[in-house]
Amino acid sequence: MAATDPMLDSGADFRTRLQNWLPKIVLAPSFAVMVIFVYGFIAFTIYLSFTDSRMLPSYDLVGWQNYERLFRVRQWDTALVNLGIFAGLYIVISTIIGLLLAIFLDQKIRGEGFLRPIFLYPMALSFIVTGTAWKWILDPAIGLEVTMQRWGWESFQFDWIKDSEMAIYTIVIAAVWQSSGFVMAMFLAGLRGIDNEILKAAQMDGASNFQMYRRIILPQLRPAFLSAFVILSHLAIKSYDLVVAMTDGGPGTSTWLPALFMYEYTFTRNQMGIGASSAVIMLMTIAAIMVPYLYAELREQK
Amino acid sequence: MARAVTTQRKAINTAIAWIVGLLIFFPILWTILTSFKTEAEAIANPPVFLFFDWTLENYGVVQERSNYMRFLWNSVFLAGGSTLLGIIIAVPAAWSMAFVPSKRTKDILLWMLSTKMLPAVGVLYPIYLLCIRLGVLDNRFALVVVLMLINLPIIVWMLYTYFKEIPGEILEAARMDGAGLKEELLYVLTPMAVPGIASTILLNFILAWNEAFWTLNLTSVDAAPLTAFIASYSSPEGLFFAKLSAASTMAIAPILILGWFSQKQLVRGLTFGAVK
Repeated sequence: MAATDPMLDSGADFRTRLQNWLPKIVLAPSFAVMVIFVYGFIAFTIYLSFTDSRMLPSYDLVGWQNYERLFRVRQWDTALVNLGIFAGLYIVISTIIGLLLAIFLDQKIRGEGFLRPIFLYPMALSFIVTGTAWKWILDPAIGLEVTMQRWGWESFQFDWIKDSEMAIYTIVIAAVWQSSGFVMAMFLAGLRGIDNEILKAAQMDGASNFQMYRRIILPQLRPAFLSAFVILSHLAIKSYDLVVAMTDGGPGTSTWLPALFMYEYTFTRNQMGIGASSAVIMLMTIAAIMVPYLYAELREQK
Repeated sequence: MARAVTTQRKAINTAIAWIVGLLIFFPILWTILTSFKTEAEAIANPPVFLFFDWTLENYGVVQERSNYMRFLWNSVFLAGGSTLLGIIIAVPAAWSMAFVPSKRTKDILLWMLSTKMLPAVGVLYPIYLLCIRLGVLDNRFALVVVLMLINLPIIVWMLYTYFKEIPGEILEAARMDGAGLKEELLYVLTPMAVPGIASTILLNFILAWNEAFWTLNLTSVDAAPLTAFIASYSSPEGLFFAKLSAASTMAIAPILILGWFSQKQLVRGLTFGAVK
């Protein structure tokens, strides 16, 4: 140790120390940004939900009052029921159609390369634009209904979008349209990953097509089902653009979803405290779905 | 899953797949076709499909009346700016996690990814209030920062998964040949990382281009991109059918083109890397 030149030694030392620290230093900005802007800001929202903020934020704590009031508000009920209907149907139907499409596209379809991006387009395009297109198609005065009637199907009726009981289902239609191709892509990747040998062996043993899907293929798609569920459910809870473009919450408040509720209560009704408590509920719901999933992923990958 | 499928079955399957494809594409196709019609033809009943007098008039009117180009420029600025900024911050972070992993790397990554799934409403208040406090509501630069923050987790994650695919042996070989950190970065890693970075840029550009929650809530006039412009266009009843279609077509055209080339990246990004 004493034999080496101290100048040279500290130089080399600095270099190795820098090499060791560099990865941490370059990671730090991303890390810090996410800690502050996600957790710091969420903490602020949680704090707001316990204050009597209205148009402007206030810092006077009022305990659970906003939450108690939130669950007494009729529109929040509507938003929750709508979310239940919407998320349930959206997840189930998108998964079924997506799976069927994937099985279909896996049968050596001619022009698959051309079809795949087309199936994916609805998910890639702005929901504001596609939502607007759906709004016309479903509008009884200018869309499907009147077209069918002019083409001779006089009794054809489809005015759900104007019907406060049925309007939420039109959102389901548009949302399913949007996601099915995307879910298909997830399942298709899963199908392509299945070992051919197993299928050949099953076929030799005389398994029918149906049996093969039920007993071998579908069970192997479990990871794809799981990811599809997590992704679709978080999309459902976050849904905002599509509703804004299609019905803007109407007729009346019949198609309000939680994200729309929060927006309306904050910016048009100046009830920031209640809005914040609704945001916190949404956060908790997503976390409840996501945390177990990520935890499972983490254990699997280790 | 290649299995023997009879020719007849194959033909039927192909036909059905194409019909479904056409049905799925129909709303988009209809929007595009309508943009080339006159207002009268646009609401004609029964609808005219292809045989109408194609006109570009709507595009001119939309530009003239509402200065469409400004919204288009805002869209390009916001999507491009936030992507660029995000990439600059994320590349070193992803590099560090992919090539110099520590015990906590996996945890940090999943934690970052989890933040992308959280609803934007959770951080709307602080960002909104901060924008008011700083006087940058409806400001392009502020929105670039916000969009970058929103998409940063997905950028880091995507870059990480791409970087992870670069074989470590190449680095070891380079180190054995005496390459330092600088040579390693410049001559070995960068050329191999470019495709992954390009894919991430493409994906993030699409995500930022389509972003509506933040652009609707934080802009009014000056910084409003196409999504906000189309959302603000009045009800479809009346005479604006074809013009709204023209505006919509211009808003989706770049994504129709980009989406064609980047479908793989799109799936990969939207599934958070679950599908490679």
